[in-house]
Amino acid sequence: MARTKLSDDRDLTEEQKLFKESINDWAERNFPLERVIRINREGHPFPEDIVEGLAELGLIMGTVPEEQGGMGLTWSDQIVIAEQLGYIDPSIATAAGFMAVETGWGFTINRYANEEIREKFVKPAIQGDKFIGIATTEPKGGSDVAGFESTGEKDGDEWVLNGEKTFISGVEECRRMGGGYWVNVRTGPKIPEAPHKNMTAFFVPIDADGVQPQEPYDDAGRGSLSTSGFIMEDVRIPDEYMLGEEGKGFYYTMEGFDNARILIGASSVGVTRRILEEAADYIKERETFGRPLAKYEGIQFPFVERYIELEASDLMVKKVAKMQDKRYDEEGWLERTGKATTYKPTEIAKWISMIKYKVPHLAKDTADDAMHWLGAAGYSSEYIFETAWRGVMSYCVGAEGGANIQKLVISRETLGKDYIPYK
Amino acid sequence: MRFVVLVKQVPDTTEVEVDEETGTIIREGVPSVLNAFDEFALNEAIDLKEKMDEDVEIIAVSMGPPQAKDALKKCLAIGADSAVLLTDRVFAGADTWATAVTLGRAIKKLGDIDVVFAGQEASDGNTAQVGPEVAAQLGISQLTFVAEIEKVDKDSGHIICKKETDEGHVRIKAELPTVIACMPEPGFEPKIPNIRDIMKAKKKSLDEWTYEDLGGDEEEYGLDGSESVVVRTYSPPPKGEGIKIEEKPEIAVEKIIEFMDEEGLL
Repeated sequence: MARTKLSDDRDLTEEQKLFKESINDWAERNFPLERVIRINREGHPFPEDIVEGLAELGLIMGTVPEEQGGMGLTWSDQIVIAEQLGYIDPSIATAAGFMAVETGWGFTINRYANEEIREKFVKPAIQGDKFIGIATTEPKGGSDVAGFESTGEKDGDEWVLNGEKTFISGVEECRRMGGGYWVNVRTGPKIPEAPHKNMTAFFVPIDADGVQPQEPYDDAGRGSLSTSGFIMEDVRIPDEYMLGEEGKGFYYTMEGFDNARILIGASSVGVTRRILEEAADYIKERETFGRPLAKYEGIQFPFVERYIELEASDLMVKKVAKMQDKRYDEEGWLERTGKATTYKPTEIAKWISMIKYKVPHLAKDTADDAMHWLGAAGYSSEYIFETAWRGVMSYCVGAEGGANIQKLVISRETLGKDYIPYK
Repeated sequence: MRFVVLVKQVPDTTEVEVDEETGTIIREGVPSVLNAFDEFALNEAIDLKEKMDEDVEIIAVSMGPPQAKDALKKCLAIGADSAVLLTDRVFAGADTWATAVTLGRAIKKLGDIDVVFAGQEASDGNTAQVGPEVAAQLGISQLTFVAEIEKVDKDSGHIICKKETDEGHVRIKAELPTVIACMPEPGFEPKIPNIRDIMKAKKKSLDEWTYEDLGGDEEEYGLDGSESVVVRTYSPPPKGEGIKIEEKPEIAVEKIIEFMDEEGLL
């Protein structure tokens, strides 16, 4: 029986179709599902040969401009790559490490970094030789970005950073490969009515004196990529390693979240599509009481419902990518012409929150359904479903912003600011 | 030097279905891919180019509907320098002869060519006729079942290839220009274009030529220009369950003879 295929690529550009074909061909040779399952059981660090493969294929940070080492891809292009990484690795570890973190945040780091950081860290990361990421969450929480307590104090032409960052993706990989993290610290007094002010972003090399990486956590899923944290004790960072302008770290962070969340939405589309295809192959073959499982409405109807949600999510992700393309195309337009841009950043953030909330949950729920359809087989690591279920759960519970934070953003943009619960 | 690589977009063989009423292959909505034999031919052309000291231009040529552009885009991403799509309703329904007429005229229009690379056959028709017929159209030599190109020497005007035969391989030398029909060996892994290559390919030339660009009469192309007629295409009925004998060769032979005897096949 021919393998079930649920993707329809006819609306993609010729180049985007080739992106998918190349990623699939490469994965078939180097990263089949059996290996995805195995490395998730074996645990981190993420395999070096896969990082090399991703870099050789040009999958990391494609949206960085060509003259800065990237390829100047649009977000509409980049989501195709992100979706396919979710498809080939439904544990979502690859997409988490190299789309959300390195591409979403890496692109944003590159925007606000100076030439030295670009040359020493961003370009090598694009080539798979270093790892760069994001370290926002602190022991007291991650969703309240304006409430972070790490500090930065000016000392001559340096800044002295202190604090702790936790639940950070890729710390072990970063230590192995070299690289560093975007870190937000408070560089001025906390203003009670505007706590988001006086936050400043810095690029902190992982091997800077005073950076103390912590032991990795034993996470439920996406086990091939490490999650850990680090303490900063009197870490001295030169002025030039400030990202953007002093005091604007909160705004840059929101932009970084937007970029990472789009890619997570896209990758979760890929995860869901793969789960449904793999599940379809099983339910069409496996018989009970003399009939294939797929003949039973108790299975085919929920299958169809998930499929509808998948295609709706795919359309949403594509819409959001187009909005993001407009955002960067029209950058500076308002300042230069005084005319309104097509979308306000907060409107785009609303749509991004909608996909960040919806699609990882869809992937998780679809994996959950598939495990039920397969029964004991679904619970076993013989099939991809439990690996996917444990992996995408990370994006339901909190990675790149918890589910309820997304709902707050959406309610703020629909019901209005008067109904923000924390004010 | 100038190489032409002939390529065809074919239905993904794992997805092919035949319309039971009409007996024709259902192409609508079926994913298409670059014919694997042609992909091998292109890979050989690129490897050869990389080994050679002189400048080499690789031109990928395909005849097909507008969507065959996808296959040529892939060729450009893999390493072809330019591409030409021969697309016209007049070309539709062509058999291998009319296809060779079309391709041959396109190659002549391209000017001086040293080697024409083709796949040994296409996975949809499996005729293995187009490469040799193109050679006939051009009036040049042909080498089939080519597994490897060892050398192309413009000065001496020769090409040396490794050709597969039933007994193994032979080295064979031919005069340039020539058409070589390439046959991948088991385990061949085609080049995978990366995103950078794919984006660079956007800037390469991909021309579309119609029958007016090639000249001649409409009747020489497509269905009208075809010498053969496809009466029916069908899937062979599934074979019954076979028998599997897992024994030492001498015992296995006895059992096979016994089986054939019982079935009245001896």
